[in-house]
Amino acid sequence: MSQWVRKGLATGIKTTRYPACEEKAPGVSPGLPVGGEYPEAQARSLVDLCPTGALTLADHQVVVDYRRCVHCFRCRYDATAPIRWQEGYEWAAASTDGRHPTRPLDRPFEHSIHILVVDAGDCGACLNEVRQLNNPYYNMHRLGFFITPTPREADVLLVVGPVTDHMRVPLQKAYDAMPTPKRVIAVGACALSGSVFGPSFVCGSGVRDLLPVDVEVPGQPPPPLAILHGLLVAVGRRPSASLVSPANSLNAEAAKAL
Amino acid sequence: MSGMNPTNIAEMAGQRWVGKVRVRLDAARSRCELECENGALVDVCAWLNKERNYSYAGLIVEENPSQWELRHVFYGTRPAGWVHLLAHQPLDRSTFPSISSQVHAADWHEREAEDLFGLSFEGHPRLGDFVLHNDRWQENLGPMRRHFDGSKPVTRREPDLNWQPRRIVEAPGAFLMPIGPKFSGVTESVHFLLESVGEEVIRAIPRLFYKYRAVEKMAEGRSVNDALLLAERFAASTAFAHALAFCQAVEDISGIEVPARARALRVLLAELERLRHHAGAIQEICESTALVVANNQAAMLEEELLRLSGAFMGHRYLFGLAVPGGLSRTFEDAACREAVQQAQSILKRLDQLEKMLTTSSSFLDRLEEVGIISEQDAHNYGLVGPVARASGVTRDLRKAQPDSGYDAFAFDVAREQEGDGYARLRVLFAEARQSVRLMEQTVAALPIGPVLAANVKIKAGAALGWVEAPRGATFHWLRIDDTGRVARYRVITPSFANWHGFHLAVEKFAFQDFPIILATFDLSVAENDR
Amino acid sequence: MNLSLLLQMFFWLCVAGVVLTMLIPERWCPKALAWFGSAASVAVLWSSGRVLLTGDAFQVLLWSLPTLGTFTLSLDRLSALFLAVTALVFLPVSIFSAGYLKRYLSHYSLRAFNVWYLALFASIVLILLAGDVLLFLLAWEAMSILSYLLVNFEHREETHTGAGYLMLAMGEAGTLAAAFALLLLAVTAGGLEFSALKTAIQSPGNGLRWAVFLLSFFGFGVKAGSVPFNAWLPRAHPVAPGNVSALLSGVILNLGLYGIARVNMDLLPMTLTGPGLVALIVGTVSAFVGILYATTENDLKVMLAHSSIENIGIITAGLGAGFVFTAAGHPILATIAFVAALYHMTNHSIYKALLFLGAATVDAKVGTRDLDLLGGLIRRMPWTALCFLAGALSISALPPFNGFVSEWLTLQTMLRSAELSSVGVKVVFALCGAGLALTAALAVTCFVKAFAMGFLGISRSTQVEQTTEAARSMTLPMGLLAALCLLLGVLPTFVISTLDGVLAPLTQASALNALVPPFFTSSPAHAQLPGEFAAEFHDLGAQVGQQVVPGQGLVVMHRGGAQNPVVFAMSTSYMFPVLLGLLGTTFIVVRFGLARHRCVVRQPRWDGGIRRLLPEMTYTATGFSNPVRVIFDAILRPTTKDTRETVAEHFRAAIRRCRQEVHIVDRYVVTPLRYGALKIANGLATMHHGRLNAYAAYVILTLIVVFLLTLTLSPLQ
Repeated sequence: MSQWVRKGLATGIKTTRYPACEEKAPGVSPGLPVGGEYPEAQARSLVDLCPTGALTLADHQVVVDYRRCVHCFRCRYDATAPIRWQEGYEWAAASTDGRHPTRPLDRPFEHSIHILVVDAGDCGACLNEVRQLNNPYYNMHRLGFFITPTPREADVLLVVGPVTDHMRVPLQKAYDAMPTPKRVIAVGACALSGSVFGPSFVCGSGVRDLLPVDVEVPGQPPPPLAILHGLLVAVGRRPSASLVSPANSLNAEAAKAL
Repeated sequence: MSGMNPTNIAEMAGQRWVGKVRVRLDAARSRCELECENGALVDVCAWLNKERNYSYAGLIVEENPSQWELRHVFYGTRPAGWVHLLAHQPLDRSTFPSISSQVHAADWHEREAEDLFGLSFEGHPRLGDFVLHNDRWQENLGPMRRHFDGSKPVTRREPDLNWQPRRIVEAPGAFLMPIGPKFSGVTESVHFLLESVGEEVIRAIPRLFYKYRAVEKMAEGRSVNDALLLAERFAASTAFAHALAFCQAVEDISGIEVPARARALRVLLAELERLRHHAGAIQEICESTALVVANNQAAMLEEELLRLSGAFMGHRYLFGLAVPGGLSRTFEDAACREAVQQAQSILKRLDQLEKMLTTSSSFLDRLEEVGIISEQDAHNYGLVGPVARASGVTRDLRKAQPDSGYDAFAFDVAREQEGDGYARLRVLFAEARQSVRLMEQTVAALPIGPVLAANVKIKAGAALGWVEAPRGATFHWLRIDDTGRVARYRVITPSFANWHGFHLAVEKFAFQDFPIILATFDLSVAENDR
Repeated sequence: MNLSLLLQMFFWLCVAGVVLTMLIPERWCPKALAWFGSAASVAVLWSSGRVLLTGDAFQVLLWSLPTLGTFTLSLDRLSALFLAVTALVFLPVSIFSAGYLKRYLSHYSLRAFNVWYLALFASIVLILLAGDVLLFLLAWEAMSILSYLLVNFEHREETHTGAGYLMLAMGEAGTLAAAFALLLLAVTAGGLEFSALKTAIQSPGNGLRWAVFLLSFFGFGVKAGSVPFNAWLPRAHPVAPGNVSALLSGVILNLGLYGIARVNMDLLPMTLTGPGLVALIVGTVSAFVGILYATTENDLKVMLAHSSIENIGIITAGLGAGFVFTAAGHPILATIAFVAALYHMTNHSIYKALLFLGAATVDAKVGTRDLDLLGGLIRRMPWTALCFLAGALSISALPPFNGFVSEWLTLQTMLRSAELSSVGVKVVFALCGAGLALTAALAVTCFVKAFAMGFLGISRSTQVEQTTEAARSMTLPMGLLAALCLLLGVLPTFVISTLDGVLAPLTQASALNALVPPFFTSSPAHAQLPGEFAAEFHDLGAQVGQQVVPGQGLVVMHRGGAQNPVVFAMSTSYMFPVLLGLLGTTFIVVRFGLARHRCVVRQPRWDGGIRRLLPEMTYTATGFSNPVRVIFDAILRPTTKDTRETVAEHFRAAIRRCRQEVHIVDRYVVTPLRYGALKIANGLATMHHGRLNAYAAYVILTLIVVFLLTLTLSPLQ
């Protein structure tokens, strides 16, 4: 018994200090492409390379819709002139058709929420990243986030996966069983747009088809810090990011409507 | 078996079943194709599997313009090679004999073919309600058939609203304990029904395919590059292995020679993925037994390996690296050496963890003699991977059919005999050690050169790509048509084989042992459901 | 109304009831039974109540028989207590019969039922009123036969006759033993009247004491249902009609206890420790075996039958403790122990009758008693469910119901054994106390299972889904009993003082001041309490409530001496209003204050997200009690056989599990006895070979033996 105590004490503290300060360790995030002004030829070749249509051309600008980015890295490594890249992880965005754009959940929930995680058909990577939130490197308990197995005690529903047909009823039941106030966080490209799988006869194109989504976290998979950012956005402790790059592009509204 | 190779097999089969079997030999690929008449199919399969000790890989169903083609794939340890058993029927007659009574590993393959293609297998007593749940879909939908448009939702649905699970236990007071599809904290969606009269599970029925995304159907009509995205992402916890198998199939069809540096780096990346996956599996076992400090220690190691993958290779789960013809980007030798050094230090801590776990009697109590699978059962059900090796079935594709470069390196295949949870844990640790050993060997002698073959041109044809993924033997069958698009994509995953045998481990043990046995099996629902 | 008139009215009511039954059409018989039964019960209740509260004894000499003495009727407080309990059970059961017996119309003779029922009532009252051995035994025999007739009412069923016959046979064997005990006493005393027996026995030897105790304890124990003679109980209860089962458990088992009490407390008070310990051990073992089999049983009535064995065991253990205390010279402790035992007897009669009436209602409306087929009845039969719940809470000894009070008293009395001197006796008390605590825990498991599987959850069969609430004539008596359960629990001080009045004359010591000290209403200088005693309570702050807290609501079990004045106290009288107050306040605050503007949304239960939750996906009673089966496997010793059927070698078609159990008492007592008896009979059968010569020789041999005996024994006379 005491060997475990000694081992634990000897390991020391490994937890990241995020959100108090930025996490700079290598390998915590795969990064995302950055949209903006690009020379025309480069822009056209980048848009052609993207297999999911995440990159679009609008007024000489390459607009990146993070909802559709599946991290294939073709625009970064396959292109002769690669796209610019950001190495951050604060990617989550509060949905404008949600309850409250800047603070989805009310103040009483700011430092303590219970999260119900429902797998609606994900590949395993998003779920594994959610699992990492409990490891000593991220330790989401210190921020007041707890995972609960029952929807009766949950405040936030975290959904991963493109919502397969078979999981529609269980997901709806889980949402219905949660008491109000309740919010939905969609995590991963599959949950935001169906990614490479949907829509099809068995697969939807994201959680939006079924439930009202309050916070969206893009990436495939979003690293744990991005999911953490999403949770912090849900309780209003961190500002929301944009799902489109550049954020204030004229076609941002159109892209959001996709 | 010594002296067994596809040529011998072809001869013996031709002699034994004169007139019923047509033989086609492909010595270069160490493969023979036996085209069987329906009457002889079961006997030939039984002979291959039981007498000639060939493992059953899976069943590939293809709807050709004029006939059905069923392909049962068998493989042995080199030089035994591959044997493909083909059966044909015209499209309007879709009945085939079932081989499941002789080769039980084919059970679920036949059920899936029935559900998705509408074929019927004579002699199989359990067809129906497998992939498409009967309480959501009508029978005979046949979504994998060519005429079915998979991109559109199905509007006319006739589900069976009175569907009930089949009860097998006849005992007073027996009931079905339902688990899932949403259960526990962070788990994949799968539904279990445990038939029991109280403490002991008498029969366990998993109801899978809640996460069915019809990956095989989606790939049809897509370009090879787009289908590669599907292959990589349908079971992303072992993304690189699946991408590798897909790429190898493409390279086999198109005759692409992968450069030496790419082959070595592919081994490095595959073993890095295996190491990270096994650390995660060990963490799940510790979590299921509620040994909190060990759980956190293992979780830290998994996170460090994820960060290692992300820092050196760009993505924590190694997305976007394997492409047909090699790798999408190169890595400096120094960076690779640095990565292996970090992996070595992580392995040291993993070994320490193993030592501490073996001295925790309360931990071992929950694993030893719990969830036992006998060697006979592992053979019959065709189990693969660390689960099978813990029961004494040690066929490892890296040694049995090392086409992806493993024959250049030395390593041992782990083997345990007890078949309980503790044996599976020991196998995971042993394989992690072997992975680092392989990684060291690759960086010790990294060949110089390009990482992508020059002039990659996609040709038409069909081939099988295989990989020993972290969970076991994986097979991707690909048929590319003249326009360079995918005509048929079949994925046979290790989780599909192991989920089939999972119920054996759970029966006769108590409810409380169920989550632990589930964790020791390290199954992926996404990989099974596709 | 004087007592004699009341009692005469009772007997005339019974006679009138019988006569009227013969005249009216059969379909009016249940109603007539209800009226006459209730009227008769009221008469008995009134008379016994008067005796209990005022202490008027009653003695009447009836007819004289030559050489056999006079038939005497005597009503003292002990009989009055048992009469009151009998009446309290007969009243609701009679009302219940009005609706329940309708199902037997045109199947079996309802006239016969009426006659036997009223005759049974009369015979039971006669047993309790009997003042001499002969009347006692005659009434006892009548009761045995009438109860057999009632239990075997559905006589066309094969199993029913067998069970009834077993009850009769074992009952007769017990009666024989008990009769021997009484006759031993009569022979020693030289007369047959109980009053004569009490005064005439001067100094009986230890041999006589042991003989009388063993014969009366085990003889009356058969009727009470103590291990090892309880084989008839679980078989008789399920076959009897529902209201008869309630009578069986609520009244007839008490008669066995009455016999034990009358002989060993009144006629021949205990002076040896041994018999008390025997009673204690037998009681504990009964309690444990009873509740173990109740927990693992799925048929509602069989479960309640086993639970009766458990409760009788607790009462017997209490009586045993009292016997030990009497013998050891602690009369106050003895009174406390007897108070606990008789309180438990009263409570058991009330809540067991309630539970049996509940089971009968469920059986009558749904058609099945198997817990594995019930479920969700609370929505269909809310009143029955509520009353059953009250009964289940009482039997699980949860406050503020009556079971809690008597269980608390019994267990605390076991702890008082610390004041005894012999170490061996203290060890036995400790073990038995632990055993009773274990049975209390198992009782909670058992009744959680019964209520939850039977009334909560999803219906497991279509019969349940189509059932409706029972008629008011059936729910009203259950409500009455439930209210009585609550009342007996919330007013323990009044019950204890009544019981003390019953027992004080028998043990020559009153425990009232020990159990219900009037310290709240007394000043420190009150003459009733000894000075140090009152001072201790004063130090604890008892005088605080002196002007404020009303009544004597506290039951106290004072322990320890000067160095260790530990006090255990319990008050359901104060707990109940506080509980109601708290619940009510919370409800009002939340409903009209905090949540006034909230709307409540109802969603179906969370079931893991499966599409349809089927009844077979919920726990069955077997599954719920399986851990108990597994833990006590060594006692239950089931034999299981698994068979598997496969199709195509690997696909399983069926897994069958057969499980058989033989009751532990059957295994260790009944089967060896039967085996031994058969062996002896077979041995004796060798004498029956049909040869006349041998038979003649037997006759001559017997004559010679008799001659020799008379010759040798006669000089001794």
